[in-house]
Amino acid sequence: MELKSIKDAFDRVATKQKLSYSKTNEIVQLLSQEIDKALSILQKTPSSDTLLVDHRSILADVKKVFMEIAPITQLEAAEKELHAALTKYPKVLEKQLNPDISKAYRNNVEFDTHIVNQIIANFFYRQGMFDIGDCFVTESGESECSTRQSFVEMYRILEAMKRRDLEPALNWAVLNSDKLKQARSDLEMKLHSLHFLEIAQGKNSKEAINYARKHIATFADSCLPEIQKLMCSLLWNRKLDRSPYSEFLSPALWNNAVKELTRQYCNLLGESSESPLSITVTAGTQALPVLLKYMNVMANKKLDWQTMEQLPVDAQLSEEFQFHSVFVCPVSKEQSSDDNPPMMMSCGHVLCKQTINKMSKNGSKSSFKCPYCPTDVDISRCRQLHF
Amino acid sequence: MEIDSATNGNSDAVMTESVATITPSPVVPSSRSNQFTESLKLEHQLLRVPFEHYKKTIRTNHRSFEKEVSTVVNGVGELADSDWSKDATVSRLTSLVTRLQGLKRKLEEGSNVENLQAQRCRARIDHLDSVDVENITEWNNTKLKRILVDYMLRMSYFETATKLSENSNILDLVDIDIFREAKKVIDALKNKEVASALAWCADNKTRLKKSKSKFEFQLRLQEFIELVRVDTADSYQKAIQYARKHLASWGATHMNELQHVLATLAFKSTTECLKYKVLFEPQQWDVLVDQFKQEFCKLYGMTMEPLLNIYLQAGLSALKTPYGFEEGCTKEDPLSQENFRKLALPLPFSKQHHSKLVCYISKELMDTENPPQVLPNGYVYSTKALKEMAEKNGGIITCPRTGLVCNYTELVKAYIS
Repeated sequence: MELKSIKDAFDRVATKQKLSYSKTNEIVQLLSQEIDKALSILQKTPSSDTLLVDHRSILADVKKVFMEIAPITQLEAAEKELHAALTKYPKVLEKQLNPDISKAYRNNVEFDTHIVNQIIANFFYRQGMFDIGDCFVTESGESECSTRQSFVEMYRILEAMKRRDLEPALNWAVLNSDKLKQARSDLEMKLHSLHFLEIAQGKNSKEAINYARKHIATFADSCLPEIQKLMCSLLWNRKLDRSPYSEFLSPALWNNAVKELTRQYCNLLGESSESPLSITVTAGTQALPVLLKYMNVMANKKLDWQTMEQLPVDAQLSEEFQFHSVFVCPVSKEQSSDDNPPMMMSCGHVLCKQTINKMSKNGSKSSFKCPYCPTDVDISRCRQLHF
Repeated sequence: MEIDSATNGNSDAVMTESVATITPSPVVPSSRSNQFTESLKLEHQLLRVPFEHYKKTIRTNHRSFEKEVSTVVNGVGELADSDWSKDATVSRLTSLVTRLQGLKRKLEEGSNVENLQAQRCRARIDHLDSVDVENITEWNNTKLKRILVDYMLRMSYFETATKLSENSNILDLVDIDIFREAKKVIDALKNKEVASALAWCADNKTRLKKSKSKFEFQLRLQEFIELVRVDTADSYQKAIQYARKHLASWGATHMNELQHVLATLAFKSTTECLKYKVLFEPQQWDVLVDQFKQEFCKLYGMTMEPLLNIYLQAGLSALKTPYGFEEGCTKEDPLSQENFRKLALPLPFSKQHHSKLVCYISKELMDTENPPQVLPNGYVYSTKALKEMAEKNGGIITCPRTGLVCNYTELVKAYIS
């Protein structure tokens, strides 16, 4: 795609529009001048009936000049050029861009407006846009969003963290300590470390040590090296920036804590750490070009686009959208399932069960050759994998 | 495994380690830049809509300027050919001068409006031009907001649409004013008034004719039906007159419909004859509203469906896997959410040509850099995650899903092609 050709085509439109405007302006100017001239002659000459012929001849002159200027012809000519540019631009757009992205749309699927509205309201709240969320809920006539209060609370905690006030965050983490451990999150330790460092920065080592004894010692099981580093950093209390522990001053620590808190908070609510709406729309942005290309290529074939149960092409989403392990058998090209699980052969190559069955003629052969290496595969040594 | 390193205060510890895992590496594969271009191609509507608006303004302005100029020219011509007194001539000329002055003012105003609209067109081209690897997240965020505003405008949630656009500074990238124009017509139709819809048709006459639209015909038919509905001797007369004036000309192209509707003269609005009963039903007005929306979208080069629905459909399909509907599905998958599942239900599943394995522990992709390793029980995790676990626990691996304990040396590498 050439954005430049779009730009050029638009520049042409804008130039022609300016040209047409100045032409019109010029003509209007010219016409006024001529009439003004005639008027001033008329008004100068004393009023007398004998001059009747005279004022008519002046008018005839004006008329003649007008005929020579031919304003309408000039205007039309300017418009013609403008018109050409105006017709061209949409054609350039259609050529460079995808003129109809709804070609890959299933018309027989109608989304429930109510559900879509709920998703949108939830999006605004989780982004912390409470005003807009409230406005949306009122205007769309949806019922109050159940997650609103939870997100208000989350943003209260995050706002406090921005001010380097860890208290609300710590309160929340302590309250949900068990669940955080279950989720294998070190958020609580992270927050305590930050607090510890804040106290230590305040030049109060003793208080910091007390804090560590009270709150940090309990994490010895999982975070021993971390605790060692924290305590050692006290040695450089006044010049931490020139110590091996200068990383403790990095704002990245705070950003990470904010991210981790958001993630854990959302997870405990049963939500993803990124907004699901934004994930889906971004995935759609990646998938649409692939789907549209496919529709274009297949335009002449009869397609059951409206009814097919699986997309005919790989949408080629980028890594961050891979939420599950998908194993595709390299031989049969089928995705594995509970009935057809992935199996590893003795050589370490992986195929799916059906393929292995086929290669061993349903177990009638006790061994077969791996399709990827020279190994002779013993069927009894193939084992199922769990990703 | 060296357990000693763990007791050394300088080893890779929790905090620094998570710095690395949480911020994803900024390395973008080269196919990504191609992806940008491809996704920009989806933005036809963004550039087309303001241009159609701009074009319309130019055309209307131009037509009115031309009319004024020719009025003045003709005025002088007539004056020259008549024998008015001198005083009358002077006053006539003066009025023509005033007229030209008025035109000059109009030109100025018209040009200002045109320039503003041109600016908007340009702002959108620049917006497309501004996307790059560094700001893609922010750009996508803006895109989502644009898509949401488009949805709200189509649903007539003007207040939220305006608020969101102002708040996110995207007024130049959304078409609030254009939809306001549509809303006037829609509201009128909902009130069973056709006047503003007819005015809209007259306004866009050439374009509608070009696309062979019969929207005006449908409006006229509805007006005719309303006259028949009144059901007085006088009203039938009026209905027939109306049909002669406004409907007859459509006979050449839409004879069947014309006959169908005119036959209502033989029925009353209370008729039980199904074919005619339906014509008298109030839902006919909703049909007109839908019809108008379609014509309107077509005229401006918009998609018929809200952009949101198009993107959601594509995104949901691309994300839809059987795993998303399972009980313990990761919360990171949008399809773990009840509302998203409901929307995705009638949509096709995604298709993958190649294996993509995600480590259960680290959630990172397992590839040649970070190959999958198999525990004796057949459970697979990424090398990175297992190594880290072994380093922390003196070479011992505990399977997080089955609790099986084994030694790091017992693992075997799996080859996934």
